[in-house]
Amino acid sequence: MTLIPEKDPAGTPPAGRPIIELRGVHKYYGDYHALRGISCDIGAGEFFSLLGPSGCGKTTLLRTIAGFEDVSEGEVLIDGRNVDGVPANKRPTNMVFQSYAIFPHLTVEENVGFGLRRDPRPRAEKAAAVAAALEMVGLSGFGKRAAHALSGGQRQRVALARALILKPKVLLLDEPLSALDKKLREQMQSELRKLQRQVGITFILVTHDQEEALIMSDRIAVMFEGVIAQLASPQDLYRRPLTRQVADFIGVMNFLPATVADEGGGQIAVDVAGLGRARIAAEQCPGGVRAGAGSVGFRPETLTILFEGEADRGRVALGTVDEVTYYGDMTYYGVRLDGVGEPLTISMRNLIGRRVLERGERTRVAWDPGALVLFC
Amino acid sequence: MRGGGSGFRAYAVLYLIFLYAPILLLPLFAFNDSTIIAFPLTGFTTRWFEELTTTPALHQAVRNSLIIAVSTAILATCLGIFAARAATRYAFPGKAGIIGFIMLPLVLPEIIVAVSLLVVLLQIGVKLTSFTVIMGHVLICTPYAIAVLNSAFLSLDRSLEEAAVDLGETRLSTFRLITLPLIMPGIISSLLISFTISLDEFIIAFFLSGTEPTLPVYIWSQLRFPTKLPAIMALGTILVALSILLLMIAEYFRRQGIRRAGGKDSGGFL
Repeated sequence: MTLIPEKDPAGTPPAGRPIIELRGVHKYYGDYHALRGISCDIGAGEFFSLLGPSGCGKTTLLRTIAGFEDVSEGEVLIDGRNVDGVPANKRPTNMVFQSYAIFPHLTVEENVGFGLRRDPRPRAEKAAAVAAALEMVGLSGFGKRAAHALSGGQRQRVALARALILKPKVLLLDEPLSALDKKLREQMQSELRKLQRQVGITFILVTHDQEEALIMSDRIAVMFEGVIAQLASPQDLYRRPLTRQVADFIGVMNFLPATVADEGGGQIAVDVAGLGRARIAAEQCPGGVRAGAGSVGFRPETLTILFEGEADRGRVALGTVDEVTYYGDMTYYGVRLDGVGEPLTISMRNLIGRRVLERGERTRVAWDPGALVLFC
Repeated sequence: MRGGGSGFRAYAVLYLIFLYAPILLLPLFAFNDSTIIAFPLTGFTTRWFEELTTTPALHQAVRNSLIIAVSTAILATCLGIFAARAATRYAFPGKAGIIGFIMLPLVLPEIIVAVSLLVVLLQIGVKLTSFTVIMGHVLICTPYAIAVLNSAFLSLDRSLEEAAVDLGETRLSTFRLITLPLIMPGIISSLLISFTISLDEFIIAFFLSGTEPTLPVYIWSQLRFPTKLPAIMALGTILVALSILLLMIAEYFRRQGIRRAGGKDSGGFL
């Protein structure tokens, strides 16, 4: 019995005018069905991410927008125009490739100015445009360098400048940060975000890194096996995942079996294994509610370990510490609740004066029914 | 590599001596002042090299060989570019079989190729000239050209071509602006290798050259006259030196190409 219908995975449409409209896009490679009916709108000026594990079709989708792959079925509209049969060199999109694809036989300047070859403007104006593009990405003075002598981060910037100099309506980024080390990646994430706000161009980022997607995007489309499982803002995606699969892919989620009962009048009650019975709000069930067996999910930070001397607050369950992972600022505990098989992951901030529990210790865990998400 | 190492080393050294000592004898007798090819050496002379300059038939043979080798190098390399590009960039039905057929002359005995070509050409009534030799040489050089160019195309990141198209270039201008400059070392390498193979190829040239002998065919014909032997040694010395030079240039360009494309060297002909 359906108590609350499922939400549309496509979520809310973009705030502004759509620049990209995908209508039932399918892509076959022989027998392999890579894209299985992708429909969504991407707004002008939006930072949009395609997130998913490798092989989910996110890069294929990006390449169909760029014009490197034709769609087997469905339509791709860019700025209201159906681009079926329009080759990549005639589309108002530019791409930053995963390998950066910097032309190794040209200088930095020649790389950045490559797209201006067919531009009728006089030479001096084009040179000024190249200089401005290099300045935008923080590479002023690098123009005469040979491209193959650049570091990974510099190549990335040249690729960005080269794509943005044509002032595309949409910039496509195919896992642009995956080849960089952690520090540089984090720096480039915030720089890319800043750059996007500054130029106001729509960015579509393909990534398999959920943290990267959360940090950078206005909206994220999570893809599994050729379909969009959920399209939402980073906050909605984290707090209100539609399915267990999405919840599992974005951050860490603890799952507990639960039984769902309708109490009438829009009230929903769940009986969670090891925690007990609680009433929850309709918005905690983004995937819809059906009476019967289901499961609930808790993020690690919504569960709290109560240390000695702390009073019980809210609802409390008892358990045993099974696993301790110390991260410096945080400690992640695996706590096995009494009567529950799987240990739950609980993250606690390492405040001054707060000790780190040891394996085998008994502890109290406070939980809030308002923080759980129900999956049926 | 202890113990058995020295035994293997001796074996390797002997093997190399066996392989290259005869070639070292070429310059030795080329500069020896005697018509008899035997030790002991009698004295130093450059007479045999001078004799080469006064033999018109030899000059004609050199001219034929150069025309054939240059034409073969260009034709085989052009065909090689198409084949290597198709083999590395596209998937099409029967690809493995087609590439296999093109590469077959690499392992086919040359005498078989030569005889069958001769039979076919005579049957359809084509006169045997330098042109027929070029046809035969293109057949056997193309697989080498493809092997060299394949590695050039494989070390070329495909997204470079896509990036150029993405930035507004057509497929044709992309080939000219990006692909061609980046595979140029491979092309030069292929030209030089095809040129070298064609220049010293004997069997096909012998069967198909008719009345226009190539250099190897001319050399073979001169072996009947013992007094001409020292001059042949001199000629051989020049040819060996030129071949080594050409292969070294080819290898230089191949390595430079890999470095420019930022790839890793996976071994080549030298």
